[in-house]
Amino acid sequence: MTGPVVSAKNLTRSFGSGHTVVMAVDNVTLDIMPAEIVLIMGPSGSGKTTLLSMLGGLLRPSQGTIEISGTNITALKESALPEIRALKIGFIFQTFNLLDALTVEENILFPAQLHPGDKHQAKRRASKLIKQLGLENRRTALPQTLSGGEKQRVAIARALINEPKLILADEPTGNLDTQTGQEVMMILQTLAREHGYSVIIVTHDPRVEDIADRILWLEDGKLTDRKEENHKWVKDPVCGMHIDEWTAKIKIDYNNTTFSFCSNTCLKRFDDNPAKYTKAMSTNP
Amino acid sequence: MFRWTWKSLFNQRGTLIGSALGIACTFILVIFFDAVWRGESIQVVSYPNHMKPDVWVMQSGVGNMHMAMSYVWDWKADKIAEIPGVRKVTPILYMNSVVKTGGHEMFAFIVGLTPNEKRAGPWKLTAGRHIKNSLETVIPDVLSRITNVSIGDKLRITDKSFTIVGLSAETYSSANSVLFVPFSDLEDILSSAGTYSYLLVDAEEGVDPKRLAERIRNNVEKVNALTHEEFIKNDLSMAKQMGVEIIIMMTVISSALAALIVGFTSYSLVIRRRRELAIIKALGMGSVNILISVMIQSAILVLIGFIITVLFSFFVIPYIPLLLPQLTLSISMNAILQLGIIALIVSILGALIPAWLVSRLDPATAFHV
Repeated sequence: MTGPVVSAKNLTRSFGSGHTVVMAVDNVTLDIMPAEIVLIMGPSGSGKTTLLSMLGGLLRPSQGTIEISGTNITALKESALPEIRALKIGFIFQTFNLLDALTVEENILFPAQLHPGDKHQAKRRASKLIKQLGLENRRTALPQTLSGGEKQRVAIARALINEPKLILADEPTGNLDTQTGQEVMMILQTLAREHGYSVIIVTHDPRVEDIADRILWLEDGKLTDRKEENHKWVKDPVCGMHIDEWTAKIKIDYNNTTFSFCSNTCLKRFDDNPAKYTKAMSTNP
Repeated sequence: MFRWTWKSLFNQRGTLIGSALGIACTFILVIFFDAVWRGESIQVVSYPNHMKPDVWVMQSGVGNMHMAMSYVWDWKADKIAEIPGVRKVTPILYMNSVVKTGGHEMFAFIVGLTPNEKRAGPWKLTAGRHIKNSLETVIPDVLSRITNVSIGDKLRITDKSFTIVGLSAETYSSANSVLFVPFSDLEDILSSAGTYSYLLVDAEEGVDPKRLAERIRNNVEKVNALTHEEFIKNDLSMAKQMGVEIIIMMTVISSALAALIVGFTSYSLVIRRRRELAIIKALGMGSVNILISVMIQSAILVLIGFIITVLFSFFVIPYIPLLLPQLTLSISMNAILQLGIIALIVSILGALIPAWLVSRLDPATAFHV
């Protein structure tokens, strides 16, 4: 059996010092297997991006080790990390992060040109990816002329150009409409199922759960396997929006009942006239 | 990497053109001041340079003409004329003075010429004629345009009034113009009867001017004799000394200004593209490569500014005197080469702060929305 693509042990990252120290990631241990799609979810500020940055070699942990395809990247010098990032990891960002001055093809080829390798082979791979992702007609287009879905497909192709084993995606559907988001999810699923890529996705989008093999829950820097019972949908008593009670940050106890709110505005409205909203809840739960 | 470096620089054409023009402006200032200085320096020695005798003879202890005074007894001219190898001796009187004409006052070199002597006179008349009679003068044509006087108008030197009878070319300089007057009038002004200022000695064919100068020094007491080349070298060095500090100061200021513009442009390019730089760092470009990229962009910027400067130097600056005849400009290849070195230093200095910013760039910011 093949070993994990990512193996992180006792990963800790703190910011600040003394009394002001903040544990962004606290003693996280995880293994990601080949072809596995793992979702990292959690409330805002829970440390998801910090964890992703460390797994991607963009941020050094305060403690712990990270192995990517058997290479302990925490033991490497700073100058060795760019090559690891270019060759062993593919990044997909929420805001696509394409380079404005370069065409679609040049953007895709960019990571392949950063480190020694067969340039002709990279060009052939780029052509193949352009075809696979339906970008044939956009090959010479500049990013500002692309739709959101096209931009994300270019970003995916760029992440795959060096054929890394690991794809790190930060809110890949965050800036896309429902249908385009669905398409991107299908592409990520295909990458894992048919091509054996390991995919770590940080997201708030519950639709992505459908393609995940595993969902990890990160809160206050600690990682846990998420249990279904922790996922409890309740209604904001003021605006009526469905929110996850388990993750909701704005809560209040009133008459021995806990109410969750989507925002401070709703909480303030509730505070001004709680009877109005509790009565409405009881008549129309 | 180079494709991105190139394309991302040219993607912001407005910034690029603005910055390159800013750099070019400061470089053009350097070249322009240098051209003015060189032009003036050449113009200051215009008279002796056009006279070109084989040997200049002057009072002992004097070695040039610019801002100098010299007295040589007239009998020494006769003695020199008898020295073997001397073909001709042309004496001139010379003084520095303020002249007044057309309501203007200006500094001038006044050359007193013996009657009918054209050897030491104006070499290119653009209007009028040579001096023939007492109280006549030939002035530079540029001076006549600036002061709005012409042939027939009056010009005052000390207490004497002269009539302008001719206009000469190549004799104007903002530091000192060359005016020609009759010898006797200048002798009267200077009260220098029996003396000359300089003797222009032409050698017989085949005579070495250096040896002739030595022979004159050995045979005639209390005179200095220099070959034309030595004399011009001394005069030019004296003229250059007068402006060199100002020019160095202007060059340093303009270069510092250019460095600031390059620095500010590179800095704003980095600041505006901080996120993009974080992205390329996240994608695997090393800090050293990003540094090189920023420096290349800075160098391209300076190179464009330099090319604009060179084009301006050869196709615009030479024509400025057509509009401003009082300016004599001389573009020197040396100055252009020096500017090239300054440009290189400026591009390196200008990229230092942006380079420091790049080295501190956190690639994890690529994840920030």
